[in-house]
Amino acid sequence: MGMSRTNIIVLLIFGAILGYFLSFGPNTTQKFKAGVYQLLAPFLTSGSGLKKQITSVRTGLKSLDQLEHENAALQVENRELRATNQSLRDVEHEVNRLRHALNYRERSVFKLIAAEIVARDSSTWWRTVTINRGRRDGIETDMPVVTDEGLIGKTTSVSDVISVVLLVSDENCRVAASVEGSREQGIVSGQRVTTGLTPLMDLNFLSKQADLKPGQKVYTSGVGGVFPSGLLIGVVKSYRVRELDGQAQLTPAVDLSHLEDVFVVTGRR
Amino acid sequence: MIFFFLLLFLVLAAQIAELFIPALPWLYNAHVYIVPVIVFYGAMALPFPFMLALALYAGVLLDALTVQVIGGKVEISAGSSILMYGVLAGIMHGLRPLFARGHWEVHCILSGIFTSLIVLAQYLMITFRRGSVVFTREIWWQIGGPGIVAMLVAPIVFWSLQWIGRMTAYQYGPERGRFE
Repeated sequence: MGMSRTNIIVLLIFGAILGYFLSFGPNTTQKFKAGVYQLLAPFLTSGSGLKKQITSVRTGLKSLDQLEHENAALQVENRELRATNQSLRDVEHEVNRLRHALNYRERSVFKLIAAEIVARDSSTWWRTVTINRGRRDGIETDMPVVTDEGLIGKTTSVSDVISVVLLVSDENCRVAASVEGSREQGIVSGQRVTTGLTPLMDLNFLSKQADLKPGQKVYTSGVGGVFPSGLLIGVVKSYRVRELDGQAQLTPAVDLSHLEDVFVVTGRR
Repeated sequence: MIFFFLLLFLVLAAQIAELFIPALPWLYNAHVYIVPVIVFYGAMALPFPFMLALALYAGVLLDALTVQVIGGKVEISAGSSILMYGVLAGIMHGLRPLFARGHWEVHCILSGIFTSLIVLAQYLMITFRRGSVVFTREIWWQIGGPGIVAMLVAPIVFWSLQWIGRMTAYQYGPERGRFE
């Protein structure tokens, strides 16, 4: 039994569209990606808000569960007090977070644009987050992204209102680095696979005599042009000598699994 | 026709939802993928032209969200997800008669295997680009984990989509091979 004429025509159209996509160069791919993100931006932003609400409700339900075991006479009053307390704690957390961010922005030597994480990566092999700032806010590709604790990564795809940030824990995000208290310089890159909850990074191309000690801080060296010097990348966890060079394993300076507010570095003041 | 558009909407919703579903730390940080399961159900329930249209749509979305352009280089070409969805959905489409006879288990297992195949294909492509072949236990789990999860959620997704199909008066007719 052969294919019907309609099916053959549809298959040819499918093949033509596929060929069109496969012919995309880096620039066209970048534009295509930014365009789709632009279309998805309202869903991503509202999805982020919805997720926060669900988390908040879940926290509330936990308190209710605990209250069941308490004195029956005080149950209603207790519930009210706990609910009030919880919401105040949420507000306090929010105020502290924003105050912290504001302080950092004011004392920073860089020009910073504040942004919020709206979505995380859904793919297995890349570590990215999406932020709610884009071209309209002055964001461009390859801009460093930081928090007050250190380097997060750099922007890759930028649409009008949202941007994708490649995290420093991704294997493709390479950062020229220098080690505190030594003349050692190397390249930091993420690992392809994360084994634990905290992703680790490798600091490659060190000299064999580097002998780095756990706890030493690693900063951006400013070589390469994307990342300005002096941003904390991570802390040395271990060091080993390889056949041709030395390699250190780093713990990121920032907890990349719990990011909320970040800053995009647009230049120096 | 309503059912086809509902599937398009569900693929979009699931693709966005996947961005908010955290990886599973107890399964070596394996990700949860629902979209492939919906596409593979569509491959069985829809006639050939609509199956290809669904694969194209899901592939474009996946490409847009996964393709990374870093330093002027593209790691996975745009279109690769379209190709993968097209081929795998085509295989699933060929197994429609089995599904019509009520053998859901085969398709649930295949949904899992095919989901892992998509992740494996992505990994092979980036491995080729990055130039170092690494296959650790964690990597195998990150490839196999999404497949296991897809296999487990497939019966629920299939049942839900079957129910939606009935609600929209969609007539599933693989032997007739036409869209009603």
